[in-house]
Amino acid sequence: MLPALVRLLLRYLLLAAGVVLLNFVIPRSLPGDPLSFGAGEGTDAAVPLSRAAKDQLRAYYRLDEPLNRQLGAYLGDLSRGDLGRSIARSAPVSDLIRDRLPWTLALLLVSLLIAAVVGTAAGVVAGWLPGAGRDRLLVAIASALAAIPEFLVAIGLLLTFAVGLGWFPLFGGQTVFAGYGGDPAGVARRALDVVWHLTLPAATLVLVGTSAFVLLARDATVGLRHAPWLVVARAKGLSERGVARRHALPNIALPLLTFFGLRLGTVLGGALVVERVFGVPGLGLLGYQAIRARDYPLLQALFLLSGLGVLATNLLLEIVYLRLETRRGLLRG
Amino acid sequence: MPRLTRRQTLQGMAGAVAALALPRRTAALGQETAFPVDLVRFAWGTDVGAPTPFQVSPAGPGGPVLLTLIYDTLTWKDAEGIVPWLATEWTISDDGLVYTFRLVDGATWHDGQPLTAADVAFSFDYYAQHPYTWMSTEVVASTTVTDDGAIRIALKRPYAAFVEDIAGVVPIVPRHVWEPVADPIGYDGADRFVGSGPFALEEYDQTAGAYRLLANDRYWHGRPRVREWRQITVPAEARIQVVQQGEADISYGTDASVVDLLAGAPRLDVFETAPHSIVRLAVNTERPPLDRKEVRQAIAYALDRRQIAETITRGPAIVGSAGVVPPETPWHNPTLTQYDYDPDRARELLGGETFTLDLIADANVRDPDLMAPMLETVGITLNVQRVDGPTRIALLDEGDFQLALVTHIGVGGDPDYLRRWYAGEEANAFAKGSIFRNEEYARLGEEQAATLNPDARRAIVFRMQEILAEHLPTITLYHRRFYWVYDPAVVTPIETWGGLLNGVPFPNNKLALIDA
Repeated sequence: MLPALVRLLLRYLLLAAGVVLLNFVIPRSLPGDPLSFGAGEGTDAAVPLSRAAKDQLRAYYRLDEPLNRQLGAYLGDLSRGDLGRSIARSAPVSDLIRDRLPWTLALLLVSLLIAAVVGTAAGVVAGWLPGAGRDRLLVAIASALAAIPEFLVAIGLLLTFAVGLGWFPLFGGQTVFAGYGGDPAGVARRALDVVWHLTLPAATLVLVGTSAFVLLARDATVGLRHAPWLVVARAKGLSERGVARRHALPNIALPLLTFFGLRLGTVLGGALVVERVFGVPGLGLLGYQAIRARDYPLLQALFLLSGLGVLATNLLLEIVYLRLETRRGLLRG
Repeated sequence: MPRLTRRQTLQGMAGAVAALALPRRTAALGQETAFPVDLVRFAWGTDVGAPTPFQVSPAGPGGPVLLTLIYDTLTWKDAEGIVPWLATEWTISDDGLVYTFRLVDGATWHDGQPLTAADVAFSFDYYAQHPYTWMSTEVVASTTVTDDGAIRIALKRPYAAFVEDIAGVVPIVPRHVWEPVADPIGYDGADRFVGSGPFALEEYDQTAGAYRLLANDRYWHGRPRVREWRQITVPAEARIQVVQQGEADISYGTDASVVDLLAGAPRLDVFETAPHSIVRLAVNTERPPLDRKEVRQAIAYALDRRQIAETITRGPAIVGSAGVVPPETPWHNPTLTQYDYDPDRARELLGGETFTLDLIADANVRDPDLMAPMLETVGITLNVQRVDGPTRIALLDEGDFQLALVTHIGVGGDPDYLRRWYAGEEANAFAKGSIFRNEEYARLGEEQAATLNPDARRAIVFRMQEILAEHLPTITLYHRRFYWVYDPAVVTPIETWGGLLNGVPFPNNKLALIDA
C-alpha cells in the first residue's frame, strides 16, 4: 500500500501546486480591474480620482508590476502564510476569512448532515418497496425539490416565514450589537439567536440538498433488495426494519459516503445564493462580493481555500478506497 | 443658525468676502441629559469598510456619507446652499487661486485635542500623498497656516467647484493621529477613527457590516439630537421590509411602488429625493454609424422614454433631460431641446437606413427588453450583451462598445462632472464610456471650471447642456428618485441642495442630527 500512498500524495501535491497557480491566473483573466470603482447596484457615484492618485493605489497593491513579479510576491507571501490585503475592503484577507469561516461551516455542515441523514432514510424507505405509494410520493417530492432553483426555495421561505408570518428574522447571522454578555446565559442567548437566524437558510439548503441523497439511497436500495444475504437475514427472523438497518444500510453506505465526501469538499466554497438572500456573512457571499469587485487577493485566498478543501476530501476518499482495495487484495491472496 | 444661501455663497466665490459668524457653542462635557432620540438604525446595502478616509470603500456613497457623521469638512450644505462648517468664513483671491479659510473656535477631536488650522493643512498635504478615493484633491497646490491661525489653500488653477466639491467633501483628519502613519491603508491603530464630527465610532462589526456610532457630547457645532446612530447592512430584497418590521428606522428603494405600499402604514413615511439618479446610454461617438449625430438623435426619438421610465420605476416618469443635468437640481437647464417620442421623426432622420447596434447592459436590468422593440420599429436591431459590472467598465474603458446602459448618481451637484467625464478625469465606472470630441464643449468645460462668477458660470453650464442635447454623446433615458422609507418619530429627512457631498441623494444630512 505504501508506494501507492506515496504516489497518491505526490499527485495531490502537484494538483495543489496547480491550484495555487490557477488561483493567481483566474482572477486576473477576468475582464475588469480592482481599482475601477463603481460597479454597485444603481448607486454608482462620481469618483473623481485623479490619474496620479489611481496610479498610486495601483502601486500600493503592486498591480503595476509585471505579472511574473506579482506571482513571485504572491508565492512569497503565501509561503509565509500571508494572504495579503483585500483591495475592496482594505482589511487583511486572513481576518475576513477567519470571521466568516465559522458561519459557512455552521450553516453548510449542519445542513449537509441533516440532508444526508434525512435523505438516506427517506431513500431506503422509498427503495424498499419500489413502485409502492410511498416510493412514488417520495421520488416525486425529491425530484420536484431537485428541480426548483435554490433561490426560489430561499425566497419562498423568506417570504412565508420571515416577511409573512414574522417567525424568523429577515436577514443576518445574528442580531447586530445584541450584547449577549459573556456569562453562560449570554452564550446560550447568542447560540439561540444564531440558530434562529440560520434556520431558514439551513432549511433551504436541506430542502435542496436532500433530494440527491433520497434518489441515490433509493436506487442503491432497489439494487440489493433481493440479494440472497438479505433473504437469509429475513429467514433468521429479523424484522424488515432490522434487515434494512443492519444489513442493507452498510452495503449502500459506500456510494453515499462518496457522495457525501464530494459535497463536503465544496463546503468551503460557501453557499452563495442562500448567503446572499438571507444576508448570512459566509464565504459564499464574501466570494460573490470579491468577484464583483475583482478583489484579486481575496479571490486568490477564497479559491485556494475551496480548492484545497476539494483536494483534501478527495484525498481522504482515495485513501479510504486504497485501504479497502488493499484489504480486498489481502483477502483474495 | 444663520445660513449662507446659494446666492450669497456664489457671490462669495466671485471674490467677495463671505463673512458669517457661526454661533459658538459651549460644548458640554459628559452625558448629562437625555437625548430627544435614543437610536436611529440606517439600513444600507453593503459593508462600507473601516470608516477612515483611507480605508472606506468608494464603491458607493454609503461609506463617504457615514464618514460625514464622524468627520467634518471645511464647508457643508443645507437645503438652500453651501454653509460654513469648520470654516466660518473664507475669502478668495482675485485670481481665484488662493482660498483663505478662518476656522471655528473651540472645535475639538473626539480624543479632546483641539482642531486647528494645522490639522486642515496637514489633511490636504496628507491627501496629496495618500489620496481620498471619493474626491480628488489634485487641484490643491499647497497649504499654509497664516500667522493669525487661518488656513490658506493655494490651487494649481482656478476651480469653481472647490468650495462645494472639495472643501465640502474632503474629511479633515487629525494630524496627531496620522502624521506618524506611513501606510494609512494598512493602519489598524485604535485611534484611526478619531474625527471631529457629531458622532464617534464605538463599534465596527466587519462581518455583519454594522457600525455603531455614539453621540459626541462635546460636539463643537451643537449637541447631537440622537444618542446612537447605527448603520447596518441589509440585503436589497429585505431593505424596505426591515423598516416595516421595525428592525431599522430608515432605508431606501429606487422603485416608486413603495409609496403605494406604505400609503396606509401608520408609523412610516416616504421621503422622495430630487431625481439625482440617471439612467442613460453611453454612446461611442467614434464608432459608425453612431458617429453621426442624426443616428443618435433618431435613437432618442425612437425610444418612448416615458413608458420605459414608468415601467421600470413603477411611478411617475421623469423623462431624461437631453442635457444630462436632472430637473429639480440646481444646475438644470429647463430650456433644452428634448426628444419627445416620435418614431416617424426617427425614421426620417435615418432615411431608410437600417442598423444592428450592440448594447452592453448589466445582467439584471430590464430596460434593454423594453428598448429593443421600440428601436426595431425604426429599423434598428438591438444586440444586447449582458455582462457584469466590472466587465462593463472594462469594455467602456477600452472603448470596445457601441452603446452601454449605465445607471448612477452624482449628477445633481456641482456640474464640473460634465467636463470631467469627457476629459477622462474620473476614475468611476460610467465616465469611462464618455467619448465626445467637440471643441466648443471642451473649451466651455475648461471655462466653467475656472469661472467663479456664478451667473457667468451658469450661462456656460447651460450652453454645455445645449451642446449635449444637440449632439447626444449620451442619451438620457430617465432620472430616478430615491424613496426613503423612514420612521418620522426618530428621523427628520433633509433634501440637501445639490445632494449631500457631490450629489448623493441621502436624507441623513448631519444638520438634522444636531441642535444647531
